[in-house]
Amino acid sequence: MSVKKEFFKGLVDKNPVMVLGIGLCPALAVTTSVSNALWMMLATTFVLTCSNILVSLVKNIIPAHVRIPVFITIIATFVTVVEIVLKAYQPEVYTSLGIFIPLIVVNCMILGRAEEFASRNGVFMSIVDALGMGIGFGLTLTVLAFFRETLGANKLFGYTLIPGFEPAGIMTVAPGAFITLGLMLWAMNSIMTSRKKH
Amino acid sequence: MKEIGKSTTILAVVTLIASLLLASIYALTKDRIAFLESEKEKNALAVVLPGFTIVETRTKDDSSQYWVAEKKSKNGETIKGYAFISEASGYSGTIRCMIGVDHSLTILGISILQQTETPGLGARSVEIASKYTFWDVITGSAKDEGEQLPWFQKQFQQLSGSDPISIVKKGDWNQNMADELRETNSVSAITGATITTKAIVTCIEKGLNEYSAIINE
Repeated sequence: MSVKKEFFKGLVDKNPVMVLGIGLCPALAVTTSVSNALWMMLATTFVLTCSNILVSLVKNIIPAHVRIPVFITIIATFVTVVEIVLKAYQPEVYTSLGIFIPLIVVNCMILGRAEEFASRNGVFMSIVDALGMGIGFGLTLTVLAFFRETLGANKLFGYTLIPGFEPAGIMTVAPGAFITLGLMLWAMNSIMTSRKKH
Repeated sequence: MKEIGKSTTILAVVTLIASLLLASIYALTKDRIAFLESEKEKNALAVVLPGFTIVETRTKDDSSQYWVAEKKSKNGETIKGYAFISEASGYSGTIRCMIGVDHSLTILGISILQQTETPGLGARSVEIASKYTFWDVITGSAKDEGEQLPWFQKQFQQLSGSDPISIVKKGDWNQNMADELRETNSVSAITGATITTKAIVTCIEKGLNEYSAIINE
């Protein structure tokens, strides 16, 4: 088990959104702007790393049949910490991400990593896994948000790109998110298959 | 039996630690959150009653707060202004806004205090459109824009609160359509967010209904 392999699997081979198909709800919902996507990446990676560390530390003392409530308590605690801290120090981010901050609790990527990885591996490897998965998740969101913000609002980081250009409003709503994600999956899969052939 | 006892103890310990951690984080941040809330209220009052000084904070019979303010007009008369908070349900959740009116129920300004509308659609009601482009920012030609008001909230200024406010679909508000909208006592809806626009108008009308008796006294 190499550190490099565990880190990069989250970015490509086991990318949570593009390959495993988990964490889709925030991926579709908060990607209306690149800054929202980046803050979501930061918040989720923080929660994922903290929960992976803790789950990995307590994995031997928790009886198997109560592990899910314990994992959920750990995750929910860190999500609430993120929520309170954002409310106090980044009120604008708190308002624009809204309900999707508390909903990190039910992002199955986090419980999935606790169950599949952190409860079976050491602390260091769990951190590497969390960082890889968090960044892989966040990069996908950022790319998705880039297309949606530029095409749907004619903006980047909230600033107009081409003055006077009428943007395609459909990109800011759910159908635009699904279409963009679909095209991204198509591109990713065709690259992966052509790479395997050679 | 032993199994159950052990599991229960572990769960209890885990939740106890979690509660202690959250309680301490809350204690550390609560002053700052309260400070931000009061700042927000102060800023909102300055927006909805421009140029006025608050003279009194009163409580209505249902314990909701409202503010009475005064301003000296050009010919030395004292004009009274009132600000109050009203709520209505929007597309996704409650919208809370503060409304400022004068004695004749002319709207002096509105400020949306809380909303959970869709980003990019309804949430544009609180967004300030930057007049600079992305390239201006990169090349550094963008200057500080200072305090500005979202166009959606700006268009309510000087509308009559005693007449119904109508909604027209004209796209984003600009200075050219300002006079026409004011004459017809109407506002331009946010594209793709008619429900949000209606909710905010409802919120204002509800508030005016509630407070018009007090203001007319």
